[in-house]
Amino acid sequence: MSATTSEGEMAGPKRDPQVADMLSRRRQRSNWIVKALCILATTIGLAFLALILVTLFWLGFGGLQWTVFTEATKPPGSHGGLINAIVGSLIQTAIGTAVGTPIGIMVGVYLAEYSLGTRLGNAVRFVSDVLLSAPSILIGLFIYQVLVNPFDGFSGIAGGLALAVIVIPIVVRTTEDMLRLIPVALREAAVALGAPKWKSIVLVCLRAALDGIATGVLLAVARIAGETAPLLFTSLGNLNWSLSLAQPMSSLPVTIYQYAGSAFEDWVQLAWVGALLITLGVLALNIVARVLLRPRA
Amino acid sequence: MKTLSLALVAMLAAAGPVAAQQITGAGATFPAPVYAKWGEAAKAAVGIELNYQAIGSGGGQNQIFNRTVDFGASDAPVDGAKLAEQKLLQFPAVMGAVVPIVNIPGVELNKLKLTGEILAEIYAGKITKWNDAKITAINAGLALPALAIAPVYRADGSGTTFVFTSYLSAANAEWKAGVGAAASVKWPAGNGAKGNDGIAATVKQVKGAIGYVENAYATQNKLISTQLKNKAGHFVEPTLAAFSSAAASGDWTKAQNYAVDLIDTAGATSWPIVSATFILLPKDPKDAARSAAVMKFFDWAYTNGGKIASDLEYIALPKPVQDAVRASWKSEIKG
Repeated sequence: MSATTSEGEMAGPKRDPQVADMLSRRRQRSNWIVKALCILATTIGLAFLALILVTLFWLGFGGLQWTVFTEATKPPGSHGGLINAIVGSLIQTAIGTAVGTPIGIMVGVYLAEYSLGTRLGNAVRFVSDVLLSAPSILIGLFIYQVLVNPFDGFSGIAGGLALAVIVIPIVVRTTEDMLRLIPVALREAAVALGAPKWKSIVLVCLRAALDGIATGVLLAVARIAGETAPLLFTSLGNLNWSLSLAQPMSSLPVTIYQYAGSAFEDWVQLAWVGALLITLGVLALNIVARVLLRPRA
Repeated sequence: MKTLSLALVAMLAAAGPVAAQQITGAGATFPAPVYAKWGEAAKAAVGIELNYQAIGSGGGQNQIFNRTVDFGASDAPVDGAKLAEQKLLQFPAVMGAVVPIVNIPGVELNKLKLTGEILAEIYAGKITKWNDAKITAINAGLALPALAIAPVYRADGSGTTFVFTSYLSAANAEWKAGVGAAASVKWPAGNGAKGNDGIAATVKQVKGAIGYVENAYATQNKLISTQLKNKAGHFVEPTLAAFSSAAASGDWTKAQNYAVDLIDTAGATSWPIVSATFILLPKDPKDAARSAAVMKFFDWAYTNGGKIASDLEYIALPKPVQDAVRASWKSEIKG
């Protein structure tokens, strides 16, 4: 290839065609090796993901029956379902979201709009970030110490509040980040029209950042829907159908935790079905979040 | 006394089938299958919904000390001083057995014969091969390979461990002096696994492994259990009849707080590792109606739950013990 290029036509340093050829081949070889390694790494990663999903779908759909949605959990061999766990999960996730979201948004607004450069603002942001990465089992223990132990024992409301504590820092972070993205010109325009600060925040900034904040909330919901650790010491679990917030309450992750390791085949089967339901639910939430985040035409 | 029981009856009536009364208990994993079945049947019969969470004996004791549940459950009895300090009444609910399980190629269900002595030496790390002379001597006709023994024990605090180490202590003086009996001990040899399920899974996977589980977990997981030599010198298989025989020979009259000793009892057909499992109920309940519902539940289980228990290979309590417990409820629990 390089033989066709005559030396006289090239400006710049002299090229030895043999060296160039060797260099080119070496580069191509290393390129090929790195590419192969990348493909291998991707394949390994995807293979595990595919294996997990295939196993989950295979075993989960295998046990999926109508009774899963009509019966409460029952002793081994009694053909129980998961309806109390499904509904318990929905209730506690709803409480967690309903309590955590407003607090999170308000803290996020404070951080983005009111606290620039203040010591309190930095402290709140630091604490919120620490809370974001705190192991969720600690949050469960915290609620156990302040709510479960001193008061009337395990309850659905305690489980919901533990989840709310997880929601707050996630929503704080997304709200602050999204508000920071709003251009200053927009705020100036609102002020120029005579709007007080609170009005410019509520009617202009929050509205403009709504998609991003909604995505953050959905991701927080997806996160708490699969949490086991904070519920173990707070809502404990309930074998029976119960909607009472003052009583121990069942949930899908805790039921999976108990059933997956049990000695009974029908319980293990139900654990797979529960895992499938959570996966599908979280997958749906993630898709909705992605659609929301997509810029509107 | 009479007014008290009248009040009790009135409360029980108030919590009748019309409004299902929920009660929450937590603790031992051992009786969890039978409590769950009792709960299902009692809901239909007396309108009490039992929510029993199997978090382990240690956890059950802690939660009832903290009064976060209506009752606690533990395989290992709580000692009298602690019961008094925590104002708890301890009573037995049902009895069951612990069985050794093994994974040796070529060894089938209940074929291998073991003794307490040998088990103690295996767990002490003194017998390390399955073809050790001490094992082959009592297993003539069984081809045992020159395979290393891998003892598996409970890594978590466990009532099953308490029962099993009590047996090893009874069978082997050296074990008693060196390691002793407790819910968690310093094991001289082997590897830990969490929960009955953890032991079952490990023994299933590891060739040469030996473990100990509550009988229901062995039968449900189709694990290879062994014969054991009892006090009378006979080798017995782990069957409900052998468990019942051991349970029948327990001397309840001497037991403090019903902490009866059913380990290595006399009796030609008795299984040597049998234990009662206990309920811990506050003597000063926060909510008298729920406490009454707990007593009503176990009263129902004593009277009607025997069949359910024996189907799952648990042993119901003898009638005199049930009556003694009923009397304790009346005299010791504040209504």
